[in-house]
Amino acid sequence: MIMNAKLEEIDGKYVATLEGEMDTAAATEAEEVLKPLYTSDGKDVIIDCNGLEYIASSGLRILLSILKGAKANGSRVTLRGVNDDIKNVFKLTGFISIFEFE
Amino acid sequence: MLNKSTHTSLIIIIAAAVLLQTISAVQYYYTHNLLADELEKRAESEMTTKAVIVKNALNLAENSLNGHIWDMKRNIAYPDSMYNVEEWVLRSHPNLLGCGIAFVPDFYPEKGRLYEPYVYRQHGGQGQEVFVKKQVAGPDHDYTLSGFYKVTMKRNTTFWSYPYYDDITNSQIVTFCRPIHNEKKDIVAVFGLDIDVKWLGDTLNYRHIYPSSYNFLLTETGQLIAGPQHESDQKREEMEHIIRLINDSTVQKSLSNSGRSTVLPIEDSDGDKGLVFYANFKGNPKWQIALVCYDKEVYAKLNTMRWTTGILMIVGLLVLGLMISRFAKNDRKLHQANLEKERIGGELRVASQIQQNMLPQKELRVEGLELRGFLRPAKEVGGDLYDYFIRDEKLFFCIGDVSGKGAASAMMMAVAQTKFRDFSAHENNPARIMQNINVGCCQNNKTNMFVTMFIGVLDLPTGRLRYCDAGHDCPMIMAHGDWFMVDAKPNLPVGVFDDFTYSMQETQIEPNSTIFLYTDGLTEAKNNQHKQFGLERVENVLGVCTGLQPKAILEKITDAVHGFVKDAEQSDDLTMMAIRYTPQQYDCILSETLVIKNDVKEVTKFSEFMKSVLEKLDIEKSLSRQLRLAVEEAVVNVIDYAYPVGKKGEIEVQMMSDDKTLKTVIIDSGVAFDPTAKEKADTTLSAEDRQIGGLGILLVREIMDSVNYERINKQNILTLTKKYN
Repeated sequence: MIMNAKLEEIDGKYVATLEGEMDTAAATEAEEVLKPLYTSDGKDVIIDCNGLEYIASSGLRILLSILKGAKANGSRVTLRGVNDDIKNVFKLTGFISIFEFE
Repeated sequence: MLNKSTHTSLIIIIAAAVLLQTISAVQYYYTHNLLADELEKRAESEMTTKAVIVKNALNLAENSLNGHIWDMKRNIAYPDSMYNVEEWVLRSHPNLLGCGIAFVPDFYPEKGRLYEPYVYRQHGGQGQEVFVKKQVAGPDHDYTLSGFYKVTMKRNTTFWSYPYYDDITNSQIVTFCRPIHNEKKDIVAVFGLDIDVKWLGDTLNYRHIYPSSYNFLLTETGQLIAGPQHESDQKREEMEHIIRLINDSTVQKSLSNSGRSTVLPIEDSDGDKGLVFYANFKGNPKWQIALVCYDKEVYAKLNTMRWTTGILMIVGLLVLGLMISRFAKNDRKLHQANLEKERIGGELRVASQIQQNMLPQKELRVEGLELRGFLRPAKEVGGDLYDYFIRDEKLFFCIGDVSGKGAASAMMMAVAQTKFRDFSAHENNPARIMQNINVGCCQNNKTNMFVTMFIGVLDLPTGRLRYCDAGHDCPMIMAHGDWFMVDAKPNLPVGVFDDFTYSMQETQIEPNSTIFLYTDGLTEAKNNQHKQFGLERVENVLGVCTGLQPKAILEKITDAVHGFVKDAEQSDDLTMMAIRYTPQQYDCILSETLVIKNDVKEVTKFSEFMKSVLEKLDIEKSLSRQLRLAVEEAVVNVIDYAYPVGKKGEIEVQMMSDDKTLKTVIIDSGVAFDPTAKEKADTTLSAEDRQIGGLGILLVREIMDSVNYERINKQNILTLTKKYN
């Protein structure tokens, strides 16, 4: 497995931890884990990217879906520990201005 | 409020009026003086002539009497025969009225103390003349008391009497008196001859120098002798008034006997002014002759002239005013037209600048390609266009010529060029680009302008040229040292029918070939003899240009055209473009191929393949992650869209490198699908507005140096390149 995704609830916040390389194939598997976040129940979401080395546009789409769901309910989505290469991808796509980074 | 030009016009007219009036016044003054001098001379001559005429009449009477003295003396012994003598005298001239001889008292004792036989002429019926004989002396008529007798006796010389009324003939007369002497020189009788002053008056006034001027005679004491027969009392009174003036003046100045006339101003009861000239007779009798002239007649021509001049002057001033106002109007119009021209000229210069700015850079030099364009409009703005740009390793280029030239053509040209840019941004098929331009140009094309146009899309990696020719001159291609014309199917020009279907053609451009495009401004450039430059000359010049760069080719052609047309005015816009295709050799140091199915799960396989290739090429980590991302996005795009849902197909991924550039070729056999034709996703939108799709191709474009799509042999071929060393 080149990619690992898990979802936990810590201190009233959802924490999604993404590790490894999230290519298009991996994204479809990760989506199964992260889908609950598409419909927000009002809790803030933290996406931990400390272990994330690579992300394709399908991964970005999942993050965008989570953000759209959260924003609809007034909760926040924060990205944590994003490496420079991935941040560059956020820049290229303009996502850097719509997400919050820690 | 008067404007400036009206003001100027008024000043000019007033100045002209003053000038003309002054000239007219001076002319009037001199002419008046001239006429006055002339009048004096004429009056002098008139009076002299009239005096001679009167004197002739008097002489005639005197001679008639003198001629019969001898007869009288011969018959003096017979008193009754005197009647016969008198009748003979009267018969010598029809205007002699009466003739009498008054003898000294007691000359004929048998006739009593006084004896005066008298004969006078009486006009009977039917023009018959009767000579009445009468002895007029008697107790109630003692002639010795009469003036004529007494004066004759006293002076003992001939003389003309003052005028007096004779009650025998009932006429106003003057009498010529002559004393008759015997041998002892004693006066024995006074011989008298009467003439009617009416005759003198008529003789004097038988013609006049002016219609209402007239002459009259006065005695030396100023008593009227004879004048015109005035019809009205008013005229008579006026004459009498003039006579009084003359007498007053004569008393004051004591008329000289120099023979020179005297002149007095007069004014009649109607207020008509005039002059009376008068002068003494030379010699006897000492009568005066006068001439009356009125200014209105003397200066009649002057007045006519004055009126004519006046009217002419007014007409002239009106014409002048009209002309000035017309000139001023024209001047204003001209001024406005000039302003308008300047304004249009200025706008045209701006338009020209805008049009120049719409053109791409004259020159393009990139690896494998050199391009040079040339456009010179015949007027400020032109209807020719050329354009080019590179997108996804494809050179899009076009050349066009709008029917006509000038501003309208320029607008159409701008539309065509804008549409070319618009549609080429996401369309690789030149026929479809042409189609879209055509639809755009047909909209609201009420002036029925059209554009001949050639659009080419040269795929730089493969040298494949796709093109569409909408009625434009066929471009020429030089390959292996020979020029040949592009085989172009003549489609309709753009802007004619919006439903016309344009067809695309293809050809292969060999490395080191040159494409030459031009508008008819080149072949139809005219010299002063109206000869055209012609295609043959173009081919001849191109024939010696096979080894040259585009810039040099265009210079050669331009020089040749200049040499041909010389100083003739440029008749049409002249546009040319030359493209030299020199692709670089690509020497592979690595070439690996992966074939996967159109299934997202296959991406895992692709990821492994991609990582191994990137590792082999020893590309830096960040860049290799980017490259992996771009290629993955492109491959996933093909997996998602190349084949219809449910249909299985294969996707071939070739990775190549020449140690400088990474080249990825993704090939599938699905439906024609050009990912480069998609519009770029907007990265500035908010999270809510961002679309889920479109991210992949965006990343591919952002990361790669070039993305190129070709459909060859029913295969979609997507080529991505990136320099990494």
